[in-house]
Amino acid sequence: MRGIERGGREWPLKSMILILLALFTVLTVRLVYLQLVRGEYYSTLAARNRIRSVAVPAPRGVVTDRSGEVIADNEPAFSVAVIHSEFDPANSWALAELLSMSRQDMEERLDAAMQSPYRAIVVREDLDLISVAPVAENSYRLPGVIVSVTPRRRYRLGSSFCHLMGYVSLADSAARYQGELTGVTGLERILNDRLMGTPGFIREVVDAYGRVVDTFGDSPESTPVPGEDISLTIDAGLQVFADSVLLATGHPGAAVVLDWSTGELLCLSSVPGFDPNLFIGGISSRDWNAILSNPQKPLLNRAWSTAYPPASTFKIVTAAWLLEKGIVTAGYMPDPCFGSVSYGGNVFRCWGIHGRLDLEEALTVSCDSYFYRTSQNGNMDDLALIARSMGLGARLTDVLPGEAAGVVPDRAMMNELYGAGGWGQGNLLNISIGQGELLTTPLQMAVVCGLVASRGDMPELSLVIGDEPCGEKLEPLVSTGTFDELDRGLRSAVTRRNGTLHLSMGASPIPIRAKSGTAETHTGEDHAWVCGYVLRPAPVAYAVFVEHAGSGGAVAGPLALAIVEKTIERLYPDAQW
Amino acid sequence: MRSGDRIDLLLALALGVLLCIGLLSVYSADSGGDLFYRQLAVVAVGLVVFTVAYNIPLRMIEELSPFVYPPVAALLVLTMFFGQGPAGRWLVIGPVNLQASEFAKTALIIVSARWLPGLKSGAVRRSGPIFLGGVAILVGLTVLQPDLGTGVAMGLIVLGMLYWGGFGFRWIFLFVSPILAAVSSIGFGWWLLFTLLLCAVLYRDRAPAWKWVFLTVLNTAVAALTPVAWNLMMPYQKARLTTFLDPAQDPQGAGWNIIQSQVAVGAGRFYGQGFLRGTQKTLAYLPARHTDFIFSVFAEEFGFVGSVFLLGVYALLIWRILLAARRSMNPFNSIMAAGVGIYFLIHVFVNIGMAVGIMPVTGLPLPLMTYGGSHIFTEMLMVGLALNAARNWRSW
Repeated sequence: MRGIERGGREWPLKSMILILLALFTVLTVRLVYLQLVRGEYYSTLAARNRIRSVAVPAPRGVVTDRSGEVIADNEPAFSVAVIHSEFDPANSWALAELLSMSRQDMEERLDAAMQSPYRAIVVREDLDLISVAPVAENSYRLPGVIVSVTPRRRYRLGSSFCHLMGYVSLADSAARYQGELTGVTGLERILNDRLMGTPGFIREVVDAYGRVVDTFGDSPESTPVPGEDISLTIDAGLQVFADSVLLATGHPGAAVVLDWSTGELLCLSSVPGFDPNLFIGGISSRDWNAILSNPQKPLLNRAWSTAYPPASTFKIVTAAWLLEKGIVTAGYMPDPCFGSVSYGGNVFRCWGIHGRLDLEEALTVSCDSYFYRTSQNGNMDDLALIARSMGLGARLTDVLPGEAAGVVPDRAMMNELYGAGGWGQGNLLNISIGQGELLTTPLQMAVVCGLVASRGDMPELSLVIGDEPCGEKLEPLVSTGTFDELDRGLRSAVTRRNGTLHLSMGASPIPIRAKSGTAETHTGEDHAWVCGYVLRPAPVAYAVFVEHAGSGGAVAGPLALAIVEKTIERLYPDAQW
Repeated sequence: MRSGDRIDLLLALALGVLLCIGLLSVYSADSGGDLFYRQLAVVAVGLVVFTVAYNIPLRMIEELSPFVYPPVAALLVLTMFFGQGPAGRWLVIGPVNLQASEFAKTALIIVSARWLPGLKSGAVRRSGPIFLGGVAILVGLTVLQPDLGTGVAMGLIVLGMLYWGGFGFRWIFLFVSPILAAVSSIGFGWWLLFTLLLCAVLYRDRAPAWKWVFLTVLNTAVAALTPVAWNLMMPYQKARLTTFLDPAQDPQGAGWNIIQSQVAVGAGRFYGQGFLRGTQKTLAYLPARHTDFIFSVFAEEFGFVGSVFLLGVYALLIWRILLAARRSMNPFNSIMAAGVGIYFLIHVFVNIGMAVGIMPVTGLPLPLMTYGGSHIFTEMLMVGLALNAARNWRSW
C-alpha cells in the first residue's frame, strides 16, 4: 500500500481519540454544571415553568386645585387576584373565608376569572395590610392566588369634591386586568382617558408554589405610563369654605363662584355631599343605604345638575329684555305697585307694596308689579332669545358631569305644553319674575351675572388649567347701555336702605352687586337665591342657592357675602377697596 | 458468509443500545403518539440497509463510488429549488420526505475515501482539484439550501479525513487558512494571533516566496472583507449566531429553544425524572423535542447518570469505528471508516452541545436517536460499512 505507512497511522488515531475525549469531557463538564450544580434551580423552573403576564397598574393622574392642593391622588393598597389556570377550585371557599367574602361573591368572581384563565383577575381589591394578611400568610397553600400592591384612589377633600370629581371603581370590562380603575361618575368618568394612563406588563416565572422566581423581558414598553395630572381652576380652600357655610344653614344648597375676566370656575359647591372614598373598593350596603335614605339627597348635585325656578334673580334677564326691546327706559315709571296686579282676570301678587318706581328701584326692592305691568307689553319669544343668549336653557360646558340645561320657555314650548290658546300672556308675567316654567341652575345664574359684570364680554368658561375652555363663548343680545342700567340696579339693591340685600350686604366695604330671589315651591319653604358680582377690586361673579330656606335676601345674602369675601381674601389678596 | 473476523460485538452492542435509547426517547417525546411507530418502521428498514452494508464487498463500494456523486448532487440541486418543510430542506416525493444533505454527507465520505489515498501518494495528483472541486460543490449546495450547519459539518468531516489520510496539521491549517482568517476578523487580537500562526506555519514549512505572498495577501483580504460579507448574511443565520453568543438577550424569541432545552436538561438532575415523566415536553415548552432536542428529553428523564451513560455509548461506538479504521489494511476501508467515526464525533458533539447550550442551534441530528428517516438510514449504512471494514480489516 502506498502513501499511508502503517507506523504513521498510530498518531491520527491517538489524536482522534484525544479529540473525542476532549470534546466529550467538555460535554460532561457542562452536564455536571447543568444537572448537578444548577440542577435544583432548573428543576424548580421546570416543575412549574410558567411564564405569566401580570399587569402593573398605572397610577391614575393626580387632580389638584388651582394652587396645587391635592383633590384626588393615589395611595398603595393591596389586591388579591386569581389566575384561574393555576388555581385549585377546591380552595375557593377557603379563599372566600380568608377574604371575608360571601361564597356567592367568590363564585361570581371566579367565574369571571375563568374567562381569561391565564391572566390575573382581581377578586378583592383595596385591602389594607390587616385584611390582606390572612391571604398573604397562606399564599403558599393557594397556588394561583396573587397578592399585589395596586394604587388606590384617594379623595383628600372628602365630600367637598364628590360631585365634581365623582369616583372610580374597578373596571368591569371583559378586558379588565388586575387593579384597573375606571371613572364611574364626575370628572373621573369624563376625563377617564386622560387620567387612567397605560398599564405595564411584566412576565414572571413562577414555581409550583406560585412564588415568583424570576422576571422576564422587562422591556421599556412594558413599564406603566402614569395617567395625566390635572389641575382644576377651582380653589379647594374656597370650595371647602363654601361647603361649610352652606352646611351651617342645615339646608341643602349650592354656591358657584367664577372669575368673569377669565371665565375660570373658582368654586362649585353643593351640599350635602358624600364621602367618595366610601365607593372605592365597593361601597358597603349600610353606607349606600344611608346615602340613599338621607332626605337631603346627597347624591344630588345642586350646583349644575339640578335646575330650579330662578325667582327674582331672573329679573336681571327680564330687565335686560325690557330695555333692549324698548318696552321701558331707565327712567320710565309704570303705574304704581299696590301689592298686586290684575291681568286677564287673574291677580298677580307682589311681595310688598312699592308705589311708583323706575327700573333701578324695581331691581332694588325686587318689585314684582313693575315687571308684571311692563312685561305684558312684550313677547315671550324675545325674552327667551335674550335669556338663551345669556346662557340659560342650554348646557354651558362640555366637561361638567351631568350638567342640566334648565328650561327657558318660548311660544313653541308653551303650545306644546298647553296647546295653542291653552296659555296666555299671564304666563309671561309669571316668567318675568322667574317663576312658572322657567328653570335655571346656580351655575347659569352665576354666568348671567358674569355677563353683566363684563358688559357682555365674558370669556368662555374653563375648568381644567391648560385645557381649551370647556364652553362656548356667549354673545348676549344686550347692549352696553342696558348692562350699565342693570349694574346700577344691582348695586342699589345692596346700598339703598330699602334694597333687598341692604341688611345682609350693605355693611360690607366691598362694592358688591347682588340680586336676591325667593322661589315659591309647592313642597315647603321657599328656595333662597342670591346672585351677583363684584367689579372691583376683583372680577368675581357668584350665585348662592339654599333649598327650602326661606327669603333669598335674608338667608342667602349673608352666605353669599361671606363666600365673596373669602374669594377675594384667598384669590385676590392684593385687592384694595 | 464471506471470510473475515467475527462481528465487532462492542460496536454492534453500542449500535443496538443507541437505537433502543433513541426509540424510547422518541416514544417519550411524542407522549406515546404514532411518531414512535413510524420511527420503529424507519429503524426496521434501517436494519435492512445495515445488513446490506455489512455484507456488501467493500471493493464494490469503492469501485461504484464515482456513481454516488451525481445523484446526490442532483438531489441537493432539486432541494434547492423544490425544498419544503420548515427550513426548506426536505425533498417531498410522494409520502417520503428526503433530506438530501444527509445523503450528501454519506456520499462525501465514500467519495473522499475513494480519492484521498491517491491524492496523497501523488498517483492521481491531477485529479486533486477535481476532487476538491467536487467536495466544494456538495458543501456549497448544502450551504445554499440554506443549511450552514450541515455545510460546516461536511467541511469538518473532509478535513478530518484529510488528516487521517496523511495530510499533516500544517497542510490542513494552510488549506483552511482563509476560513480561519474570516473567523479571526471578529477582533483585532484574534486576527493578529491568526496571522502570527500563519507565518509560523509557513516558516516551519519552509514555504517558497510565492506561497508566502499568496497566502498572506489572500488571508488579509479575506479577513478584511468578512465584515462586509456578514452584512449580506440571512437575518436568521445572524440571529442564530448572535443568539448563540448571548442566548439571554431574547429569551422569548431566538434564544427560547436554548433556554428551554437547558431547563429540561438541568431539571434531570442526578437520577432524572424517570422515563415518561419529563415535564418540559408535556408542557410543550421544549421545542423540536423529537428532532433537534431529543437529547433534552432523554437528559430530563434519565438525569446525569443517563446522560453520561449515553455519552459513554457514543464514545464506545466512535472508538470502535476509529479502531476499525486504524486496523484496516485497505486505504479506502480505513479512510471511509475514519470518516464515519468523524461524522459521529462531530454530530454527537454539536447536537448535544446545542442541547446543553454551548453550541449554536444548527439542526444537525443526534445520530441514531433523532426522529427522521434519512439520517437514520445513512447512519446505519455507515455503521454497517464500518462494521464491514472492521470484520474485513485484513483485506485490501
